[in-house]
Amino acid sequence: MNEHPIKVVVAKPGLDGHDRGAKVVARALVEAGMEVVYLGLRQTPESIVAAAVEEDADAIGLSVLSGAHMPHFTKVKALMDTEGIGDRLLTGGGIIPTKDQETLSALGVGRLFGPGDDPSTIAEYIKERVYARRAAERN
Amino acid sequence: MAMKPPVTIPHLSQVTDCTTLSGRPVLSVYGPDDVFADDLGDSLGRPGHYPYTRGVHESMYRGKLWTMRQFAGMGTAAQTNARFRFLLNRGQTGLSTAFDNPTLYGWDSDDPISAGEVGKTGVAMDSLADMERLFDGIPLDRVSTSMTINAPAAWIFTMFLANAEKRGIPLAQLRGTLQNDILKEYIAQKEWIFPPEPHIRLITDLFAFCAEHVPQWNTISISGYHIREAGATAAQELAFTLMDGFTYVEHAVAAGMSVDDFAPRLSFFFNAHIDFFEEIAKLRAARRIWARHMKERYGAKNPRSWLCRFHVQTAGCSLTAQQPEVNIVRTAIEALAGVLGGCQSLHTNSMDEALALPSDKAVEIALRTQQVIAFESGVASVADPLGGSYYVERLTRELEEEAESYFAKIRDLGGMVPAIERGFPQQELTRSAYEYQRALSERRKMQVGVTEFTNENEILEIPILEIDESVETNQISALRVLRESRDNVAVQDSLDELERTARTKENLVPKLLSCSRVYCTEGEITRRLIRVFGEYREQAFF
Amino acid sequence: MAESMRSSRGPSLTPQLWERFLGGERRACAQVITKVENDPDAVPEIRDRLSGRLGRAIRIGITGPPGVGKSTLTSALARGLADGGNRVGIVAVDPSSPFTGGAFMGDRIRMDALVGDDRVFMRSLASRAGQGGLAPSTAGVADVLEAFGMDRILIETVGVGQAELDVMACADIVVLVLQPSTGDAIQSLKSGIIEAADVVVVNKADLPGVEMLLQSLRFAFSLGAGRPGTNATPILATSAQASEGIGELVAELESQASDLVDSGRHREMRRARLENEIRRAIQTHLWASLERAVGASAKIRRHAEELTLSGGSPYPFIRRACAATQVCQTKEEAWQ
Repeated sequence: MNEHPIKVVVAKPGLDGHDRGAKVVARALVEAGMEVVYLGLRQTPESIVAAAVEEDADAIGLSVLSGAHMPHFTKVKALMDTEGIGDRLLTGGGIIPTKDQETLSALGVGRLFGPGDDPSTIAEYIKERVYARRAAERN
Repeated sequence: MAMKPPVTIPHLSQVTDCTTLSGRPVLSVYGPDDVFADDLGDSLGRPGHYPYTRGVHESMYRGKLWTMRQFAGMGTAAQTNARFRFLLNRGQTGLSTAFDNPTLYGWDSDDPISAGEVGKTGVAMDSLADMERLFDGIPLDRVSTSMTINAPAAWIFTMFLANAEKRGIPLAQLRGTLQNDILKEYIAQKEWIFPPEPHIRLITDLFAFCAEHVPQWNTISISGYHIREAGATAAQELAFTLMDGFTYVEHAVAAGMSVDDFAPRLSFFFNAHIDFFEEIAKLRAARRIWARHMKERYGAKNPRSWLCRFHVQTAGCSLTAQQPEVNIVRTAIEALAGVLGGCQSLHTNSMDEALALPSDKAVEIALRTQQVIAFESGVASVADPLGGSYYVERLTRELEEEAESYFAKIRDLGGMVPAIERGFPQQELTRSAYEYQRALSERRKMQVGVTEFTNENEILEIPILEIDESVETNQISALRVLRESRDNVAVQDSLDELERTARTKENLVPKLLSCSRVYCTEGEITRRLIRVFGEYREQAFF
Repeated sequence: MAESMRSSRGPSLTPQLWERFLGGERRACAQVITKVENDPDAVPEIRDRLSGRLGRAIRIGITGPPGVGKSTLTSALARGLADGGNRVGIVAVDPSSPFTGGAFMGDRIRMDALVGDDRVFMRSLASRAGQGGLAPSTAGVADVLEAFGMDRILIETVGVGQAELDVMACADIVVLVLQPSTGDAIQSLKSGIIEAADVVVVNKADLPGVEMLLQSLRFAFSLGAGRPGTNATPILATSAQASEGIGELVAELESQASDLVDSGRHREMRRARLENEIRRAIQTHLWASLERAVGASAKIRRHAEELTLSGGSPYPFIRRACAATQVCQTKEEAWQ
């Protein structure tokens, strides 16, 4: 199957200016052949999900280093469900303790990455999850 | 604990590319042919003498040890006050305040945009009432206090001043540092409110106010730390930071101040990353460049204006979430580089910072690391012990040259503000961050426990500090009570007066102080000033 | 319809999706756009479904060199047009990497003033195989947005290569954006792309050098540099970041739009575009038949290899191939 490019919305929700990670990952995803819609800093859950709807994005990637990952990921996930894009992948990264990752995972949030994870691992993970969803849709 | 089978590594060159962390090629040994006579002559000088390559004091740490200043702040002002007391009781000699994100962006805790962030990565600060709680029982006339805040620095500082006034402490006795460096926000940290020009005006207003009323206060801490954390190389950190410094000098002079009136109170803040010698060379080069430019380009006559005095913090971005105890070792190496580089104060990171906010235990170990360097290792007894090393002197010169070539590029773009508006430093950083990531991915650089020597079955056993969600609700209800109990007529009057003054060229600091005294909140002040100055929008550069 | 014109990739569009699309659900619109973008074989079916819903919207191309502030201007323009009672679609095209196929799309950063504005629908497109400043699917995506109820569709190009020619082919009005103090303006005068413009905008008019640029543009147009056969091309100064000059630009575009409609030129452009679309689709189909029947591409490649060595003329082969290929019209009524 010849897959068309994966579209990912990358955003930094809330008040957190540390965008080194988001930029490095965005660039790595582009190098991995993805189409990355970069929303940048100070995004609200509403603006992120609205963009993902219009772009029909396969995945949303959030970068949160402010410690406010719980409210941000939870709100974005809830909004994705109400806006009808709950089948799309929500992933991301930051300084996120394992316990919080487990809580978010139970809500349907995908894997969350941290310092030391290679961006290519993130790209591989997104590919795997998106291709699986597309394959399920075809059947 | 199951370990991966041991890796046999016969040659260093097989696992790293033997360049510095910043990708600078280095020889396998340095000798007399690798330095110029001048590197060991006039450019080197003596400690405490121009061009200060070897340090700002003649006897360095024998005369005055660096200040051990651990950055702290979380939750409410009362919680941070308890952490401050904990640190002072354990032998820390200065305080350093971390504010939460809403405070750093100028918003109140009850602003909708602050939801979920109150007290998360620093202390929540809304008004003078929080400032009173934060420093309750702490002798502000004896302990020097540093505040890491930038965009709203002027009105957080006037809250601090108003608190001192209320406690009867003369402003002239206050010692400490306000970060107050907006240019690196546009370059790296992205915490701004207004466009650059009004922010720079507030900074020069503060220079003028402090020169008259708070003469012992360091009015700015021109920071390379965040630039480095955002991905810069050592040379980029050095060049952009010093160029920011020159820009503030030029603006203050353009505003009518004489360089020697404010320059002695300028201070700096650098990163100490893991490449030991490159970092030492960077810090030595910073002093030399600053002294040369202040004396020769800006015509400063007072030798204190020539001094590049700086705080150093070990590199947060060098820490790993994997095998976090190893971070203690990284931090020790970096702290040693800061000391051998001649810092005036030092923050050592805690081992758990790649995982969460530091716990008490981790903070204590970090402080102990400094104490071991200061009191056991013997390095503090001799000024600039690496002076004259072929390798260090050569690196110092190379870094100076690279910084000078960046200065020329930035001046070609019209100076730092136009360069920022065109995204030049931002793009340089993004490129370097990506290059470093590639070097890691391609195994040209190594991170122990991450790219090699990993432990797949690692179970984290370090305690993690969590901020209770009730911090936000408590902070918000305290703020509600304040809004009802204060003199709201005085609040509106002082805000009106502030807005009127902002439209003139008059110094804004006295008006901000009046607002702070009557418990105007941070967000109320921010919104009034936005009416006059407008908001800055992100320009994302790749 | 022939085999080759049926969708082979992914599920075809469900009736429910169409219902949601017609009901104005934004997500449905986004999904139809994805289909157009990713699955050329689905285009005929989608085109059928859109019939009766096209022909009214005005498409405005926004082109100019990179860095002149096209996204910020597009955002301000979308707001201005929406305030005038229009629903506005935006298609922002960004370049795909020829090496990895990936694309970095940052236009939304500069369009954050439109967040939450449901009069506007914004979509980023990667240029993919598009050689010029547009994605191959741009016109198809604009069709979907029009059928979704958009009155004005802003098409923002990459701003390099043959962007202007591409955008002329799918826009009713072309806005060329320039900025002072760069050599780009001079370049566009030299290369003649200025002929493509219906409106020239000098953006970032707060920068130094704006008067000089305006003067040299006026001089160039006085020598007849504008689009042949039209009135003097208007030149407007804006500062999109400060929302200056946007009202004037909106007024100019709206006046050109009503002129286009009133004069019948809009219908004429649509006709020409449809003609082109039909011709291209038939060419593509015929070529595909030929390919299937005789493996034309492989044969041509082989022949070209021989000719490179022998130095011979390609025409004997061309004549033989054309003589051997006959298109016979079986039913005249099919072409009615």
